Amino acid sequence: MSAVLQSLVNQPYKHGFVTEIESDIAPKGLNEETIRLISAKKNEPEWLLSFRLKAYQKWLTMTEPEWQNVHYPKIDFQAISYYSAPKPKKKLASMDEVDPELLRTFEKLGVPMHERAALAGVAVDVIFDSVSVATTYKEKLAEVGIIFCSISEAVQNHPELIQKYLGSVVPVGDNYFAALNSAVFTDGSFCFIPKGVKCPMDLSTYFRINTEGSGQFERTLIIAEEGASVSYLEGCTAPRFDTNQLHAAVVELIALDNADIKYSTVQNWYAGDENGVGGIFNFVTKRGLAKGNHSRISWTQVETGSAITWKYPSCILRGDNSVGEFYSVAVTNNYQQADTGTKMIHLGKNTRSTIVSKGISAGHSNSSYRGLVRIAPTAEGARNYSQCDSMLIGDQCGAHTFPYIQVRNNSAKVEHEASTSKIGEDQLFYFSQRGIDAEEAVSMIINGFCKDVFQQLPMEFAVEATKLLSFKLEGSVG
Amino acid sequence: MSEIISNNYLECLLKSWSIKPTESISWFNNLRNQAIDRVSTQKLPAKRDEEWRFTDISPLARLPYQPSQAECRLQAHDIEHLCLKEAENRLVFVDGYYSPELSRITDHTALVAGNLPDFLSTHSAILESHLGQYAQYEHNVFAALNTAFLRDAALIIVPKNTTINEPIHLLFIAAQSEVTSYPRCLLVAETGSQVTIIEDYVSLQKATYITNSVTEISLAANAHVQHIRVQRENTQAFHLANCAVSLARASNYQSISVSLGSRISRYNLDVHLTDEAAECVIDGLTLISDHQLADTHTCIDHIKPNGTSHQQHKCIVDGSAHAVFNGKIMVRPHAQRTNSSQSSRNLLLSSTAQVDTKPQLEIFADDVKCAHGATVGQLEQEEIFYLESRGLSEAAARNLLTYAFGAEIIRRIPVTSLRQQLEQAVLNQTQSNE
Repeated sequence: MSAVLQSLVNQPYKHGFVTEIESDIAPKGLNEETIRLISAKKNEPEWLLSFRLKAYQKWLTMTEPEWQNVHYPKIDFQAISYYSAPKPKKKLASMDEVDPELLRTFEKLGVPMHERAALAGVAVDVIFDSVSVATTYKEKLAEVGIIFCSISEAVQNHPELIQKYLGSVVPVGDNYFAALNSAVFTDGSFCFIPKGVKCPMDLSTYFRINTEGSGQFERTLIIAEEGASVSYLEGCTAPRFDTNQLHAAVVELIALDNADIKYSTVQNWYAGDENGVGGIFNFVTKRGLAKGNHSRISWTQVETGSAITWKYPSCILRGDNSVGEFYSVAVTNNYQQADTGTKMIHLGKNTRSTIVSKGISAGHSNSSYRGLVRIAPTAEGARNYSQCDSMLIGDQCGAHTFPYIQVRNNSAKVEHEASTSKIGEDQLFYFSQRGIDAEEAVSMIINGFCKDVFQQLPMEFAVEATKLLSFKLEGSVG
Repeated sequence: MSEIISNNYLECLLKSWSIKPTESISWFNNLRNQAIDRVSTQKLPAKRDEEWRFTDISPLARLPYQPSQAECRLQAHDIEHLCLKEAENRLVFVDGYYSPELSRITDHTALVAGNLPDFLSTHSAILESHLGQYAQYEHNVFAALNTAFLRDAALIIVPKNTTINEPIHLLFIAAQSEVTSYPRCLLVAETGSQVTIIEDYVSLQKATYITNSVTEISLAANAHVQHIRVQRENTQAFHLANCAVSLARASNYQSISVSLGSRISRYNLDVHLTDEAAECVIDGLTLISDHQLADTHTCIDHIKPNGTSHQQHKCIVDGSAHAVFNGKIMVRPHAQRTNSSQSSRNLLLSSTAQVDTKPQLEIFADDVKCAHGATVGQLEQEEIFYLESRGLSEAAARNLLTYAFGAEIIRRIPVTSLRQQLEQAVLNQTQSNE
């Protein structure tokens, strides 16, 4: 059995190419000058520069956290280039003006950047290294009042919204990497759904790291006003380098009364080679504030890439009757490490949250689920259900569960379940007597294991995720 | 500021260290000296330490109590109500000091039971290989303190293939106030032996004092040990306890710990399954109210294949009390075919009660069956309604359901008189709400 699993796991990374494109790269190193440079290059207002500097000052006083269950060499923050943008930097009027080399890159990745590719029916904002290069369907969305653009554009065109909401969910000093991001973030997506509008199509951001030695620090801000709803997708890839690259993003979601935000991620950053050399350090802070009554925030993530994944998409359930959801599949192979999970902070009355987390470890990898469910004294009648299952493939990997449950209100009801299992010989035998070979059987078992999460993904993403998973684990069973 | 306090605290305690060396036994003196060295390099844990995140022991740092003195004026009739009629053998320690007058050993032939210093010369080799070998004090300041102040200790050695039918009662009585006592137990169960011990902590009066206890249990191959632990000290006391258990091949360890008393209590239980096919069953019940804090940290370490562990921990929390549970299950590489289950169930009876629970799995082997679950909630309205429809008052219905929740654990105690006492304690607690 192990031969088939082996070959299943060892699929090469297919997004590992580098695009030969001229880039405008800031000199390596981080100091106030770098931050002023970024701010000047992006022609930012004074308040944003002081926001960055405040974050930088805060960051200097903080130390890199060590409590997480991942191990990596110390990051030299002075050896990273904090700004890298594809040249030319003139304003683009339409898609046709985008560098054809760039377009080819995204075609290779299967991202529908051309508006003609209407079949896909998804509006895409594309972030290349640090800078947003294109956003599709902008006008069509503008008709219903939706603002969907890069965050630097939003800073220029809608400064009042940015000033009001930026840093309101993840404050500048929230944690080490969020502070770093707040100081040096270069671009990201901004999305504003006005009162009562149901977004007519899925919105999507595609992130690509291209330049070696650069870090990607993007910032995403999504605001859904009263009664609005949106489904947002995020995808990421990076080329294959032997050095580790840092990706420290911050995502903030704000849902007002009766609003509904669904945020899906398929993360496939370069994971390093089979000996654990290279790969992305993916240290991300994602948090949603269910501010209004009856609001809902739902996170779905499929984490297959990155040398190290370290993120906890969280929900702060402040509004009464608000709902938080977290669905996650984390697959690790070779020497990958993942420490991921969620935080559900129940503050409002009758708030509900659901956590479904599936971890699959193969090779020498380690995956951890770390979750917090906190019921505040004010959260009358709060309800939480958590389930986290792990599957181990091979005897060199590890699976860990660290659920924190803190209850301060006796009318709350909290349930947590976890299990660990492997693909059993008898399961494979059952398949083989039905004429299904081991490889296909493993793929089916894993898809069954992850079904609860995949069901939450938009259809195209679910198909991609299923494929990604079978690629990822190709050769690990047999 | 807090660091200054904590270092002062440890210094004060060390200054009060005045035990004369037991001359002839050099390893014993070395053990104590090493422990003292460890204490002086450590700090008192604070809330920023992950292991002590929810348990604030800063009130303790303001109480650098002197070690208790050996001054036992208790008579047999003073402790009569604390004795268990099933337990033929009884070792009584008052404020950590052995009391031969109150103790009773009927079984001198079948087993070694008594006070540690009495056996240091006759059983030196076996004691050296066990004492201080399981309760690691390198990173545990309280275990280090206990080892540094090691003098009297309950010692039980059950020889090879011996079955002791009657339970052995280890009674630790706190009689003085504003002192620190350092109770210690060592149980060595040799190959194929079988024994039940009851470790019982009680107070005679309402007074503030500190109990810092360490228990070590070693199970050789095929040994069976049942360990019942009852902590019913008064609600002004501080109770800090470490228990370390080592299981050899195919041995079986069953533990039931019931925690009722103390203002702040902390119980660390470390179980190491060091060889194949070892089994353990670990049950716990915490029943607290008012401003009590009870913290249970367990770690079950599966080191070799084919091990089995089952754990159930229940907390009933009333008033403004705070219960903490942290249950770690470790499955080391190559500990294949481990079967482990854990459940943490918590019942909150009042709106100000608090629970922090963290069932934790760390698994490094693939052919294993591990599951854990945790629940926190209050009594089911429907269940109360059902009982009310049968004519019970609401209070009676609540008490009955609460009692049933706790009785699941207490019922497993095989000693009838102790079980009745504890059942009564649960009833008293619940009925005080009526």
